[in-house]
Amino acid sequence: MVKPKVYSSNLLSIDVHEDESTITAEWKGKSIEREPHKFITPILVREIKKCSDRDKRLILDFRRLEYMNSSTITPIIKILERAKRGTTRITVRYDQAQKWQELIFSALTIFTTKDDRVELVG
Amino acid sequence: MANSMKVAIKPDWDEIETVRGQASQFLEQRGLSTNVVKSMVMVLSELVENSIKYGSFPHPDSTVDICLEVGPRIITTEVSNAVDEACLRHLQNLDRMIQWVRGYQDPFEAYVERLEEVAKRPLHDEESGLGIVRIAYEGKVLLDFFVNEDDLLTVSAVRNLT
Repeated sequence: MVKPKVYSSNLLSIDVHEDESTITAEWKGKSIEREPHKFITPILVREIKKCSDRDKRLILDFRRLEYMNSSTITPIIKILERAKRGTTRITVRYDQAQKWQELIFSALTIFTTKDDRVELVG
Repeated sequence: MANSMKVAIKPDWDEIETVRGQASQFLEQRGLSTNVVKSMVMVLSELVENSIKYGSFPHPDSTVDICLEVGPRIITTEVSNAVDEACLRHLQNLDRMIQWVRGYQDPFEAYVERLEEVAKRPLHDEESGLGIVRIAYEGKVLLDFFVNEDDLLTVSAVRNLT
């Protein structure tokens, strides 16, 4: 078991933990930075690389995220678009009971693949 | 109980979270559902973000002016800031984006189309490009804007409560 890592920026934290088959990035708090991609993109790129090297699935878990501005959605969908065209396995997990999450994340089905290599779990 | 909340803030990014808290409290106290409160606070904060990013604030006392009004059938959010010639490109983009979203019967379709477009941009491209369309889709609001004779831009978002 690799020791979990916590990345924080303002009110947002991303806890990254790894098990035998997955790397999970758990989002908590609020993403309200002016340029959130500067914080988010390097973390996602790094974890995707690790998943690729270790043949693991990346789980982006947003269930404990309270709010994100639209600038936060951009780096997430760019990563999903690249994953869709590549070989990375990604699961986006969100809380369907939270209306804002349901609206935001259900639209991301356009990035999922038929073989569930990129999947959405609400 | 007053049906409107008027706040003037410095064009400082850290002010946004404070206004979000004030707006949330104001809307909750008027008995609106959690979903409506959250979506209108999102609308407000996206509009204030745009205002701070693209407005003109030449004086130390320049502000972003915010008005949130709850009526029997509608909620209106207005965010105002000064603009100058340097803001022209943003105003053109704003106009184009609002007209484009209005062209869709269902804002969800506009949102999905925009997601597909933005997702294909370079990874380190800084522009979000999703704010206006997210406001229309997730906020369920009608957007409009005008610039008055004093070069004050007001962007309004109106949500039907019925």
